[in-house]
Amino acid sequence: VRPLTLDALARGVGIACDDAATWSLLSAVYGAMRGERETLDLEYRILRDGRSAGLRIERCGQEPILARDDGALLTLFDAEVVVALQRLRPDLYFVHAAVLERDGAAVMLVARSGGGKSTLSWALLHHGFRYLSDELAPVDLSTLGVLPYPRALLVKRDPPTSHPISGGLRTSRGVHVPAEAMPGEIATSPASLAAVFFLEYRPEASGPSATRLSPAAAAVQLYANALNPLAHDGEGLDAAIAITAGRPCFDLVVTELTPTCELLATTLARSG
Amino acid sequence: MTDERPRQRPELSARVVGEEVIILDRAVNQVHQLNASAGFIWQRCDGQHTPGGLADAVVAAFEIDAETARGAVLTALRRFRQLGLLSPDGH
Repeated sequence: VRPLTLDALARGVGIACDDAATWSLLSAVYGAMRGERETLDLEYRILRDGRSAGLRIERCGQEPILARDDGALLTLFDAEVVVALQRLRPDLYFVHAAVLERDGAAVMLVARSGGGKSTLSWALLHHGFRYLSDELAPVDLSTLGVLPYPRALLVKRDPPTSHPISGGLRTSRGVHVPAEAMPGEIATSPASLAAVFFLEYRPEASGPSATRLSPAAAAVQLYANALNPLAHDGEGLDAAIAITAGRPCFDLVVTELTPTCELLATTLARSG
Repeated sequence: MTDERPRQRPELSARVVGEEVIILDRAVNQVHQLNASAGFIWQRCDGQHTPGGLADAVVAAFEIDAETARGAVLTALRRFRQLGLLSPDGH
Protein backbone atom coordinates (compact mmCIF):
# COMPACT_ATOMS: atom_id res chain seq x y z
CA VAL A 1 0.00 0.00 0.00
CA ARG A 2 1.58 3.28 -1.05
CA PRO A 3 2.25 5.86 1.71
CA LEU A 4 -0.09 8.77 2.24
CA THR A 5 1.60 12.17 2.22
CA LEU A 6 -0.02 15.19 3.84
CA ASP A 7 0.79 18.87 3.69
CA ALA A 8 -0.22 19.86 7.22
CA LEU A 9 0.45 23.48 8.14
CA ALA A 10 3.26 23.55 5.57
CA ARG A 11 4.93 20.51 7.07
CA GLY A 12 5.21 17.10 5.46
CA VAL A 13 3.53 14.17 7.18
CA GLY A 14 4.06 10.68 5.80
CA ILE A 15 1.79 7.81 6.78
CA ALA A 16 2.58 4.24 5.80
CA CYS A 17 -0.06 1.55 6.27
CA ASP A 18 0.20 -2.18 5.83
CA ASP A 19 -3.37 -2.74 4.72
CA ALA A 20 -5.80 -1.18 2.28
CA ALA A 21 -8.60 -0.71 4.81
CA THR A 22 -6.50 1.54 7.05
CA TRP A 23 -5.20 3.45 4.04
CA SER A 24 -8.76 4.04 2.84
CA LEU A 25 -9.83 5.23 6.29
CA LEU A 26 -6.96 7.71 6.60
CA SER A 27 -7.27 8.78 3.00
CA ALA A 28 -10.92 9.63 3.53
CA VAL A 29 -10.32 11.54 6.75
CA TYR A 30 -7.17 13.42 5.68
CA GLY A 31 -7.79 13.46 1.92
CA ALA A 32 -8.22 17.23 1.73
CA MET A 33 -4.77 17.65 3.29
CA ARG A 34 -2.94 15.44 0.80
CA GLY A 35 0.03 17.09 -0.84
CA GLU A 36 3.60 16.47 -1.82
CA ARG A 37 6.46 18.12 0.03
CA GLU A 38 10.18 17.85 -0.56
CA THR A 39 10.84 16.52 2.93
CA LEU A 40 8.78 14.67 5.48
CA ASP A 41 8.90 16.27 8.91
CA LEU A 42 6.85 13.52 10.52
CA GLU A 43 6.68 9.88 9.50
CA TYR A 44 4.23 7.36 10.87
CA ARG A 45 3.52 3.71 10.30
CA ILE A 46 0.14 2.31 11.15
CA LEU A 47 -0.25 -1.43 11.53
CA ARG A 48 -3.37 -3.48 11.98
CA ASP A 49 -3.13 -6.36 14.42
CA GLY A 50 -4.91 -9.29 12.86
CA ARG A 51 -5.43 -11.07 16.15
CA SER A 52 -6.85 -8.26 18.31
CA ALA A 53 -8.38 -6.21 15.46
CA GLY A 54 -6.66 -3.22 17.08
CA LEU A 55 -4.17 -0.84 15.49
CA ARG A 56 -0.73 0.42 16.37
CA ILE A 57 0.70 3.86 15.54
CA GLU A 58 4.47 3.83 15.27
CA ARG A 59 6.78 6.81 15.04
CA CYS A 60 10.55 6.56 15.06
CA GLY A 61 12.01 6.87 18.53
CA GLN A 62 8.68 6.82 20.34
CA GLU A 63 6.60 4.25 22.13
CA PRO A 64 3.88 2.85 19.89
CA ILE A 65 0.35 4.09 20.46
CA LEU A 66 -2.30 1.38 20.61
CA ALA A 67 -5.87 1.87 19.42
CA ARG A 68 -8.65 -0.63 19.86
CA ASP A 69 -10.63 0.36 16.75
CA ASP A 70 -10.78 2.76 13.82
CA GLY A 71 -12.45 5.53 15.82
CA ALA A 72 -9.84 5.35 18.57
CA LEU A 73 -7.09 5.28 15.95
CA LEU A 74 -8.29 8.53 14.43
CA THR A 75 -8.65 10.23 17.82
CA LEU A 76 -5.19 9.16 18.97
CA PHE A 77 -3.57 9.91 15.64
CA ASP A 78 -5.18 13.37 15.51
CA ALA A 79 -3.85 14.18 18.95
CA GLU A 80 -0.37 12.85 18.17
CA VAL A 81 -0.08 14.83 14.93
CA VAL A 82 -1.37 18.05 16.50
CA VAL A 83 1.15 17.86 19.35
CA ALA A 84 3.96 17.13 16.88
CA LEU A 85 2.89 19.97 14.58
CA GLN A 86 2.80 22.35 17.51
CA ARG A 87 6.45 21.59 18.15
CA LEU A 88 7.24 22.14 14.47
CA ARG A 89 5.25 25.39 14.22
CA PRO A 90 5.83 27.34 17.45
CA ASP A 91 4.84 30.46 15.55
CA LEU A 92 1.24 29.25 15.47
CA TYR A 93 -1.21 29.53 18.36
CA PHE A 94 -3.41 26.44 18.47
CA VAL A 95 -6.98 26.82 19.65
CA HIS A 96 -9.45 24.00 20.14
CA ALA A 97 -12.03 25.40 17.74
CA ALA A 98 -13.73 24.95 14.40
CA VAL A 99 -13.18 27.57 11.70
CA LEU A 100 -15.31 28.47 8.71
CA GLU A 101 -14.87 31.18 6.15
CA ARG A 102 -17.11 33.38 4.09
CA ASP A 103 -16.06 36.18 1.73
CA GLY A 104 -12.48 35.88 2.95
CA ALA A 105 -13.42 36.30 6.60
CA ALA A 106 -12.75 33.48 9.06
CA VAL A 107 -15.17 32.74 11.87
CA MET A 108 -13.90 30.77 14.84
CA LEU A 109 -16.34 28.59 16.79
CA VAL A 110 -15.11 27.75 20.28
CA ALA A 111 -16.74 25.31 22.67
CA ARG A 112 -15.82 22.56 25.04
CA SER A 113 -15.60 19.08 23.58
CA GLY A 114 -19.09 17.90 22.67
CA GLY A 115 -20.36 21.47 22.85
CA GLY A 116 -21.78 21.51 19.34
CA LYS A 117 -18.96 23.04 17.28
CA SER A 118 -18.96 20.40 14.60
CA THR A 119 -22.72 20.15 14.31
CA LEU A 120 -23.02 23.91 13.91
CA SER A 121 -20.13 23.85 11.42
CA TRP A 122 -21.95 21.19 9.43
CA ALA A 123 -25.05 23.36 9.38
CA LEU A 124 -23.12 26.51 8.41
CA LEU A 125 -21.68 24.69 5.40
CA HIS A 126 -25.28 24.66 4.11
CA HIS A 127 -25.47 28.44 4.56
CA GLY A 128 -22.69 29.67 2.30
CA PHE A 129 -19.70 29.12 4.58
CA ARG A 130 -16.54 27.30 3.50
CA TYR A 131 -14.67 24.81 5.65
CA LEU A 132 -11.26 25.59 7.14
CA SER A 133 -10.96 23.21 10.06
CA ASP A 134 -12.62 21.27 12.83
CA GLU A 135 -11.20 20.86 16.35
CA LEU A 136 -8.06 22.88 15.54
CA ALA A 137 -7.66 26.55 14.71
CA PRO A 138 -4.00 27.32 13.99
CA VAL A 139 -3.55 31.09 14.24
CA ASP A 140 -0.50 32.73 12.68
CA LEU A 141 0.57 35.22 15.34
CA SER A 142 2.38 37.45 12.84
CA THR A 143 -0.70 37.99 10.67
CA LEU A 144 -3.54 36.82 12.93
CA GLY A 145 -4.77 34.76 10.00
CA VAL A 146 -6.11 31.24 10.48
CA LEU A 147 -4.52 28.43 8.48
CA PRO A 148 -6.60 25.66 6.92
CA TYR A 149 -6.46 22.26 8.57
CA PRO A 150 -9.20 20.49 6.62
CA ARG A 151 -9.29 17.13 8.31
CA ALA A 152 -12.72 15.53 7.87
CA LEU A 153 -15.38 17.16 10.00
CA LEU A 154 -16.18 14.90 12.95
CA VAL A 155 -19.82 15.06 14.00
CA LYS A 156 -20.14 13.10 17.22
CA ARG A 157 -23.93 12.92 17.29
CA ASP A 158 -26.26 12.69 14.33
CA PRO A 159 -27.49 16.20 13.55
CA PRO A 160 -31.20 16.98 13.44
CA THR A 161 -33.22 16.05 10.38
CA SER A 162 -32.96 19.63 9.09
CA HIS A 163 -29.30 18.97 8.24
CA PRO A 164 -28.85 15.25 7.59
CA ILE A 165 -25.43 13.79 6.81
CA SER A 166 -24.87 11.63 3.78
CA GLY A 167 -21.56 10.25 2.63
CA GLY A 168 -19.85 10.29 6.00
CA LEU A 169 -17.63 7.61 7.43
CA ARG A 170 -19.01 6.20 10.69
CA THR A 171 -16.66 5.04 13.46
CA SER A 172 -16.98 4.51 17.21
CA ARG A 173 -16.27 8.25 17.70
CA GLY A 174 -18.91 9.63 15.34
CA VAL A 175 -19.38 10.43 11.67
CA HIS A 176 -16.34 11.75 9.80
CA VAL A 177 -17.47 13.89 6.89
CA PRO A 178 -14.76 14.14 4.23
CA ALA A 179 -14.33 17.14 2.00
CA GLU A 180 -16.12 15.60 -0.96
CA ALA A 181 -19.23 14.97 1.12
CA MET A 182 -19.50 18.55 2.36
CA PRO A 183 -22.16 20.85 0.90
CA GLY A 184 -19.78 23.80 0.88
CA GLU A 185 -16.27 24.27 -0.45
CA ILE A 186 -12.98 23.80 1.33
CA ALA A 187 -10.88 26.92 1.96
CA THR A 188 -7.33 26.22 0.86
CA SER A 189 -5.54 29.38 1.96
CA PRO A 190 -5.29 31.28 5.26
CA ALA A 191 -8.16 33.59 6.11
CA SER A 192 -8.20 36.70 8.22
CA LEU A 193 -9.99 36.15 11.52
CA ALA A 194 -13.15 38.26 11.51
CA ALA A 195 -15.02 37.10 14.60
CA VAL A 196 -15.02 34.55 17.40
CA PHE A 197 -18.15 32.85 18.71
CA PHE A 198 -18.12 30.98 22.03
CA LEU A 199 -20.89 28.42 21.82
CA GLU A 200 -23.31 27.34 24.50
CA TYR A 201 -25.73 24.65 23.38
CA ARG A 202 -29.05 25.27 25.12
CA PRO A 203 -31.82 23.45 23.32
CA GLU A 204 -34.32 24.53 25.99
CA ALA A 205 -33.80 28.24 25.19
CA SER A 206 -36.57 29.99 23.28
CA GLY A 207 -34.17 30.84 20.46
CA PRO A 208 -30.55 31.57 19.66
CA SER A 209 -28.91 34.73 20.95
CA ALA A 210 -25.59 36.47 20.51
CA THR A 211 -24.08 38.65 23.23
CA ARG A 212 -21.00 40.77 22.56
CA LEU A 213 -18.13 40.06 24.95
CA SER A 214 -15.65 42.51 26.40
CA PRO A 215 -12.08 42.07 25.12
CA ALA A 216 -10.99 40.64 28.47
CA ALA A 217 -13.85 38.15 28.64
CA ALA A 218 -13.10 36.98 25.11
CA ALA A 219 -9.38 36.63 25.80
CA VAL A 220 -10.07 34.58 28.94
CA GLN A 221 -12.38 32.22 27.07
CA LEU A 222 -9.98 31.87 24.18
CA TYR A 223 -7.08 31.21 26.53
CA ALA A 224 -9.07 28.49 28.28
CA ASN A 225 -9.43 26.73 24.93
CA ALA A 226 -5.84 27.16 23.74
CA LEU A 227 -3.69 24.06 23.32
CA ASN A 228 -0.49 24.28 25.33
CA PRO A 229 -0.51 28.11 25.54
CA LEU A 230 2.40 28.10 28.00
CA ALA A 231 4.69 27.27 25.08
CA HIS A 232 4.32 30.88 23.94
CA ASP A 233 5.90 34.06 25.27
CA GLY A 234 4.07 35.65 28.16
CA GLU A 235 2.60 32.25 29.02
CA GLY A 236 0.33 32.59 26.01
CA LEU A 237 -1.73 35.40 27.54
CA ASP A 238 -0.51 38.08 25.14
CA ALA A 239 -1.34 35.94 22.13
CA ALA A 240 -4.88 35.29 23.37
CA ILE A 241 -5.33 39.02 23.92
CA ALA A 242 -3.92 39.85 20.48
CA ILE A 243 -6.20 37.35 18.74
CA THR A 244 -9.38 38.65 20.36
CA ALA A 245 -8.46 42.33 20.44
CA GLY A 246 -10.04 44.51 17.80
CA ARG A 247 -12.41 41.87 16.49
CA PRO A 248 -15.92 41.12 17.62
CA CYS A 249 -16.35 38.18 19.99
CA PHE A 250 -19.69 36.81 21.11
CA ASP A 251 -21.30 34.33 23.41
CA LEU A 252 -23.65 32.42 21.11
CA VAL A 253 -26.54 30.45 22.57
CA VAL A 254 -27.19 27.63 20.13
CA THR A 255 -30.68 26.21 19.72
CA GLU A 256 -32.16 24.94 16.45
CA LEU A 257 -29.59 24.92 13.69
CA THR A 258 -31.26 26.99 10.99
CA PRO A 259 -32.12 30.03 13.16
CA THR A 260 -28.72 29.79 14.84
CA CYS A 261 -26.96 29.85 11.46
CA GLU A 262 -29.07 32.81 10.37
CA LEU A 263 -28.30 34.68 13.58
CA LEU A 264 -24.58 34.00 13.27
CA ALA A 265 -24.54 35.22 9.67
CA THR A 266 -26.51 38.34 10.55
CA THR A 267 -24.33 39.07 13.58
CA LEU A 268 -21.20 38.62 11.48
CA ALA A 269 -22.49 40.95 8.76
CA ARG A 270 -23.50 43.65 11.24
CA SER A 271 -20.22 43.50 13.14
CA GLY A 272 -18.12 43.65 9.98
CA MET B 1 -11.87 48.59 57.86
CA THR B 2 -8.65 46.98 59.06
CA ASP B 3 -5.06 48.13 58.79
CA GLU B 4 -4.01 45.13 56.69
CA ARG B 5 -2.17 45.92 53.48
CA PRO B 6 -3.18 43.29 50.91
CA ARG B 7 -0.57 42.20 48.43
CA GLN B 8 -0.90 40.30 45.15
CA ARG B 9 0.68 36.88 45.00
CA PRO B 10 3.90 37.60 43.11
CA GLU B 11 3.79 34.47 40.96
CA LEU B 12 0.56 35.47 39.24
CA SER B 13 0.65 36.81 35.69
CA ALA B 14 -1.66 39.68 34.94
CA ARG B 15 -2.58 41.81 31.94
CA VAL B 16 -4.69 44.93 31.70
CA VAL B 17 -7.14 44.61 28.80
CA GLY B 18 -9.12 47.77 28.27
CA GLU B 19 -10.51 48.62 31.70
CA GLU B 20 -10.42 45.01 32.86
CA VAL B 21 -7.70 42.72 34.17
CA ILE B 22 -6.85 39.13 33.27
CA ILE B 23 -4.98 37.05 35.83
CA LEU B 24 -3.33 33.70 35.17
CA ASP B 25 -2.77 31.49 38.19
CA ARG B 26 -0.59 28.61 37.02
CA ALA B 27 -0.61 26.99 40.46
CA VAL B 28 -4.24 26.01 40.01
CA ASN B 29 -4.35 26.31 36.22
CA GLN B 30 -7.03 28.98 36.23
CA VAL B 31 -7.46 32.26 34.45
CA HIS B 32 -9.60 35.01 35.98
CA GLN B 33 -11.27 38.08 34.55
CA LEU B 34 -11.73 41.11 36.80
CA ASN B 35 -14.12 43.88 35.82
CA ALA B 36 -13.04 47.51 35.86
CA SER B 37 -13.59 48.18 39.56
CA ALA B 38 -12.21 44.86 40.77
CA GLY B 39 -9.22 45.27 38.46
CA PHE B 40 -8.63 48.77 39.79
CA ILE B 41 -8.60 47.47 43.36
CA TRP B 42 -6.45 44.45 42.54
CA GLN B 43 -3.83 46.59 40.80
CA ARG B 44 -3.44 48.54 44.06
CA CYS B 45 -3.01 45.46 46.22
CA ASP B 46 0.70 46.17 46.43
CA GLY B 47 1.31 45.84 50.16
CA GLN B 48 1.16 49.62 50.55
CA HIS B 49 -2.54 50.36 50.59
CA THR B 50 -4.95 49.61 53.43
CA PRO B 51 -8.59 48.83 52.63
CA GLY B 52 -9.40 52.39 53.67
CA GLY B 53 -6.82 53.73 51.26
CA LEU B 54 -8.17 51.54 48.51
CA ALA B 55 -11.69 52.84 49.18
CA ASP B 56 -10.46 56.43 48.95
CA ALA B 57 -8.88 55.64 45.58
CA VAL B 58 -12.11 54.04 44.37
CA VAL B 59 -14.11 57.11 45.41
CA ALA B 60 -11.77 59.34 43.42
CA ALA B 61 -11.65 57.13 40.33
CA PHE B 62 -15.26 56.07 40.03
CA GLU B 63 -17.03 59.07 41.57
CA ILE B 64 -19.07 57.02 43.98
CA ASP B 65 -19.83 57.69 47.63
CA ALA B 66 -17.50 56.48 50.38
CA GLU B 67 -19.84 53.84 51.78
CA THR B 68 -20.38 52.22 48.37
CA ALA B 69 -16.64 52.28 47.78
CA ARG B 70 -15.93 50.61 51.13
CA GLY B 71 -18.42 47.90 50.34
CA ALA B 72 -16.87 47.35 46.91
CA VAL B 73 -13.37 47.08 48.38
CA LEU B 74 -14.36 44.64 51.11
CA THR B 75 -16.29 42.49 48.64
CA ALA B 76 -13.40 42.50 46.18
CA LEU B 77 -10.80 41.63 48.83
CA ARG B 78 -12.95 38.80 50.15
CA ARG B 79 -13.33 37.43 46.64
CA PHE B 80 -9.61 37.80 45.91
CA ARG B 81 -8.86 35.74 49.02
CA GLN B 82 -11.38 33.08 48.03
CA LEU B 83 -9.67 32.84 44.65
CA GLY B 84 -6.21 32.77 46.21
CA LEU B 85 -5.04 35.92 44.44
CA LEU B 86 -3.50 37.57 47.52
CA SER B 87 -0.45 36.65 49.55
CA PRO B 88 -1.45 35.15 52.87
CA ASP B 89 1.00 37.46 54.65
CA GLY B 90 -0.42 40.64 53.14
CA HIS B 91 -0.06 43.10 56.03
